[in-house]
Amino acid sequence: MITSRTEVVVGRVLLLLALALTLLPLLNMASAALQPAEVNPRGLSWPSDPQWGNFVTAFETGHVWRLMGSSLLIVLGVVPAALLIATLAGYALGSLRVRGGGAVLLFLVLGLTIPFEALIIPLYYQAEALGTLNTRWAVILPLIGLFMPFSVFWMRAHFVNVPPELSEAARVDGAGLWQEFRRIQLPLATPALSALAILLFLWTWNQFLLPVVLIDDPLNRTAAGALTFFQGQYSLSIPLLNAGALIVITPVIIVFLIFQRQFVKALLQGAVKS
Amino acid sequence: MAFSDGRRRSGRSSVVAVVAAGLALAACAPGGDESSSAPRDDVEVSTELTSDEVTLTIADETGFPLTDELAAEFTRQHPNITFDINRDTFQNLTANAPRLLASDSPPDLIRLPTIGDTARDGLLADLDPYYEAYGWDTWSESQLAPLRMDEDGVRGSGPLYQLGLGYSVTGIFMNLDIAEELGIDGPPETLAELEENLATAQENGVLPIVAGDKDGVVNFVVQAAMNQYADKDEFLSWMFNEPGAAYNTPENVRGAELIREWADAGYFSEDINSLDYFAFVTEFSEGGGLFTFNGNWEAANYQEALGDDVAFFLVPPENEGDGHVAMGAANSFAVAANSPHIDEIAHFLDWVHTDPAARQIVVDVTGASPGGDPSLPLPETEPGSLAESALEMAARISEEDGQVDFMANTTAGIYAGSIIPESQLLVTSQITGQEFADRVQAFYESEVGDR
Amino acid sequence: MIRAGAHRRAAVRRNTARGWLLLLPALAAYVGFVVWPLGMGIQYSFFDWNGVGPATWVGLDNYASVFGDPELLGSIRNAFVLIVFFTVIPVTVGLVLATLIRSLRSGAFSRASQTILFLPQVIPLAAAGIAWSWMYAQTGAVNEILGRLGLDGLTRPWLADYDTALPAVGLIGSWVLTGLCTVLLLTGIGKIDRSLYEAVRLDGAGWWREFFTITLPGLRQEIAVLVTISIIAALSSFDIIYTSTQGGPGRATLVPGISIYRIGFTQSDVGLASAFGIVLMILVLACVLPIQRLARVRDR
Repeated sequence: MITSRTEVVVGRVLLLLALALTLLPLLNMASAALQPAEVNPRGLSWPSDPQWGNFVTAFETGHVWRLMGSSLLIVLGVVPAALLIATLAGYALGSLRVRGGGAVLLFLVLGLTIPFEALIIPLYYQAEALGTLNTRWAVILPLIGLFMPFSVFWMRAHFVNVPPELSEAARVDGAGLWQEFRRIQLPLATPALSALAILLFLWTWNQFLLPVVLIDDPLNRTAAGALTFFQGQYSLSIPLLNAGALIVITPVIIVFLIFQRQFVKALLQGAVKS
Repeated sequence: MAFSDGRRRSGRSSVVAVVAAGLALAACAPGGDESSSAPRDDVEVSTELTSDEVTLTIADETGFPLTDELAAEFTRQHPNITFDINRDTFQNLTANAPRLLASDSPPDLIRLPTIGDTARDGLLADLDPYYEAYGWDTWSESQLAPLRMDEDGVRGSGPLYQLGLGYSVTGIFMNLDIAEELGIDGPPETLAELEENLATAQENGVLPIVAGDKDGVVNFVVQAAMNQYADKDEFLSWMFNEPGAAYNTPENVRGAELIREWADAGYFSEDINSLDYFAFVTEFSEGGGLFTFNGNWEAANYQEALGDDVAFFLVPPENEGDGHVAMGAANSFAVAANSPHIDEIAHFLDWVHTDPAARQIVVDVTGASPGGDPSLPLPETEPGSLAESALEMAARISEEDGQVDFMANTTAGIYAGSIIPESQLLVTSQITGQEFADRVQAFYESEVGDR
Repeated sequence: MIRAGAHRRAAVRRNTARGWLLLLPALAAYVGFVVWPLGMGIQYSFFDWNGVGPATWVGLDNYASVFGDPELLGSIRNAFVLIVFFTVIPVTVGLVLATLIRSLRSGAFSRASQTILFLPQVIPLAAAGIAWSWMYAQTGAVNEILGRLGLDGLTRPWLADYDTALPAVGLIGSWVLTGLCTVLLLTGIGKIDRSLYEAVRLDGAGWWREFFTITLPGLRQEIAVLVTISIIAALSSFDIIYTSTQGGPGRATLVPGISIYRIGFTQSDVGLASAFGIVLMILVLACVLPIQRLARVRDR
C-alpha cells in the first residue's frame, strides 16, 4: 500500500486527538472522584492529595454489593432465557426455513424501531396487572420480549449461513431434530451465541428507563437505573457521585475488555447482515 | 434489511392485523370503575398499639434520613414494631407515588408532597377518625389546613389526608463573614434594604444570591418576592386549587418582575440553570456568595460548614413592621388507604408529634419545627445556633399567621411542567415577570381546568 | 426425481410444524411484552385517564393536543436537531477515523485505538450524562481547556446556555456513537477488495479521490445500518438528557422521551403521554423505513 508521509503524520495526530477526546470524560470523572468529598471540584487537574477513600465511601453507603447483586439477578433472568428462545426461533427461521418465516421476521424486525418510551406507560400498567410491579420481574419479562427482534434476527443470520448439507448429513445418519440441533448446530453457533450473550448483558446492565419506572426501590434495579439513586444520595458531593458512577460502570468495562475481540467481531457481522 | 420481496405482502398484512387488534382494544376503557372509596365512617379506630409483630413500610425520598432515625427510636420503644424504608429521588418518588399507592402492596406511609388526584381516587386513608381519637384538634390548624382536601379536590378543608414529619420554614441564610467585609451589619428589615444589600454585594464583586435552578429551586427566591406583595389568602386559594383562583394577579406579577430586575442586575450566577439543589447548597457552604434562600432543613449543614459565620432569618416584608410571610410546609406523609396497618401508622404519626424523644429527633435531624400541640415544650437547641433561629422563626410565623405553602405543591405536574422551565427563563432574563405568571397560570388551567 | 420432490415437500411440512413450535416462545415473549403493550398504548391514547381513576373516551383529542402544543412540537424539533449530533457527526467522524486506522499497519496501536474508541458505547448512557454534565460545568474541564488555549471568551456554562445546551447534549451522543461507527466502518473497509485501492492509487489518485471513489461506495450498507441505529437513538433519547439537563434550560433540550415520562408519570395524563408515544413511534418509522428502501434499491 502506498501512503504518503504527510498522510501518515496527519492521520496519527487526528487519531490521537480522537482518542484523547474519548478518554477525557472518563479521566475527568476519575479526577473529580478523587477530590475531597465535601467540596465542588474544579477543572481538570489531578488532585494533589487523591482521596481514594471516596471510592470506599461510595461503595459502602451506596450499597454497591446489593446493587451489583440486583443487576446480576436481572441479567441472569434476562440473558439465558433470551438466548434460548432466540436460538430456537433463529434455528426455525434460518435453518428450517419454515413457511411464513419471512412474515414472522418482518413482524419481529418492525419491533426494532419501537422506542421504549412508546411502550413504557403500557408496560407499567401491564406489570401492575401481572403483579410484577416493583419486582425485578417487571424489568426481566419485558426486556426478554424487547430483545427478541434483535436476538432472533441475529441467530437467524447465523443459521442461514450454516450449509444445509450439514444437517442433511446428520439426518441421513438418523439423527432426530433435537440431536441434530445439539450435536451439529449448537457447537457451530457458539461464537454467535457468546457475542449475543455479551451484547444482551451490556444492554441489560445499562438499561435505564425500564428499571427507573418499573421498580420503586433503587436497590432492586439495574446498575444504570440505580445511578439516579447515586444522584439523589450523593449529589451533595460531586466527587462521591463520580466515584459511585465509576464503580457502577467498571463491570461493563471489564467485561468489554475481556471479550472485546469476539464482541466487536460478532457485533459487526450481525449489524452488517441486518 | 434483507427481506425478500415476495414475502413483504404477508408481512404487511400481519402488521395490519396488529393495528386492527389495537384499535379493537381501544374501544373498551382502561382503568378503574366509577366508584370511589367507601366512606370511612364505619372504621374502627384503635389508639392502642398492637402487641403483634408488625413491619411497617415507608417510602421516602433520598437524602433525608429523618425517617430512619424516627423508625429506630420507635422500634427501641416498641420492639414489636419494625420498619422497612425504601428511598428514591424526590423526582422519581413523586412520579411513582399514585401508582405505588394503588398497587396491591402499597407502602403504609409515603412521602407525598402533593395530594393531587390520589385522595379522590380513594388511595389515601382519611385520618380524621384519628384526629378525633387522638385529640389532634389542639394542634395548629393552620399547619394542618394544607393537608386537607375536599371532594372537589380543593385543599384547605375536608378530610385530613397527610401529616408532617416536621414542619418547615424558609428564609434567608446570610454569610456573616462576607457581610462584614461589605459593611452590612445585620439582617435587612425591609425588602428595600435587602435590595440595597444585593446591590452592595454586586458592586463589590460578590455574588449576591447563591441559587440554582436546574431543578427549580430558585423558586424559593421567586415565591419569597411574591409573598411580600401578594394577598396571602388569595395566593393560598390558588395553591389549594379553589375554582377561579388565579396566579397572574398584579401582586404576583410584581414579585416576578422584581426577580426579573434582579436577573437583569446580575444578582444570580450565570450558570444558575446548570446548578442543581446540592450544587448551590455546597456553593454557599464554600462561601460562594452573600445570601441564599433556603429552609430550616439546611440549617445544620450550613452551621457545620460555616460555623458562627452564618445567620438565618425570615424574608423581610415590603414595609417595616408588616407581618412576615414565609413558605413553610409539612414534610408531608400520607397513609395508603389499602394499608393493613393504618392504626399502627397513625400511632406512629401521633408519637412523632408528641413523644419528647421523637420531637427532639425531628429538630436535631431536620431543624424543622416538630409541630403538634403548641403548648408542648420545644426540643432543646444550642443557644445562638441556626437551629434555634429556625424554631424561633417557625414560632414567629405561626404567631403572625404568615405561613404559605410552596407553590410547587399546587398540582402534581405544575412544578416540572411549568414552574421549573418558566423560572429558568425568568432568572436568565428571557421572559418578563408578566409572561412568567401568565404561562404558569395557563398551565395551571390546563391541568386543573377540567375538574 | 418425483419421489425425491415429494419427500422434500413432506420434510418441509414437518419442518414447518416443528419450526412454528420453536418459534412459539420467542413470538410469545415478543407479542406479550412488545405488541400487546403497544396495543394497550394505542388504546390509552384515545382516553383521558389519570392512570388510576375512571377513563373517559376522548377520540383523537390527545393527538390533537400533541400537534397543537408548542411545547411538545418543540420537543420533536429538538429530537430532529439531535439527529445531526447522533447521526451526521458520528458517521462522518467515523468515516475519517476508520480510514485513518486502516492506513495504520495493523498492530497494537490500531487495536488499542479501536478498543478505546468503542469504550463510550459500552458504558450506560446515564453515566455518560453524569460524566459530561461535569465536563460542561462552569468550573468544568471544557471551560478550563478553553481557558488554557487562551479562548476565555468562549467559556460558558454549556448546559445552562440556551444556544449551546442542545448542541452540548447532542455532542454527548456523538461521543457515545462515534466509536461504534468507526469500528463498524473499519470492518466494512476491510471487506472492500484491496485491488480496487491499488488500481486507483496507480492512477495517481490521492486520499480524497480514493475515499470518494472506492471507500464511500463500498460502505453503503454499513452506513445505512449506522444511520438507522443512530436515528432511532436520536429520536428516542432519554437517559442522557434525564441525567444531564432534564430538558432545561427552559425547554431548550426537551425531547419526546422526557415529555412522555413527565406527562405520563408526573402529570398522570396517561392518554396524552400514550398518544405522544405512538406519534414518536410513527416518526421513527417514517425516518427509518425510507433509509431501508434506499439501501435496498441501491443494492440492485
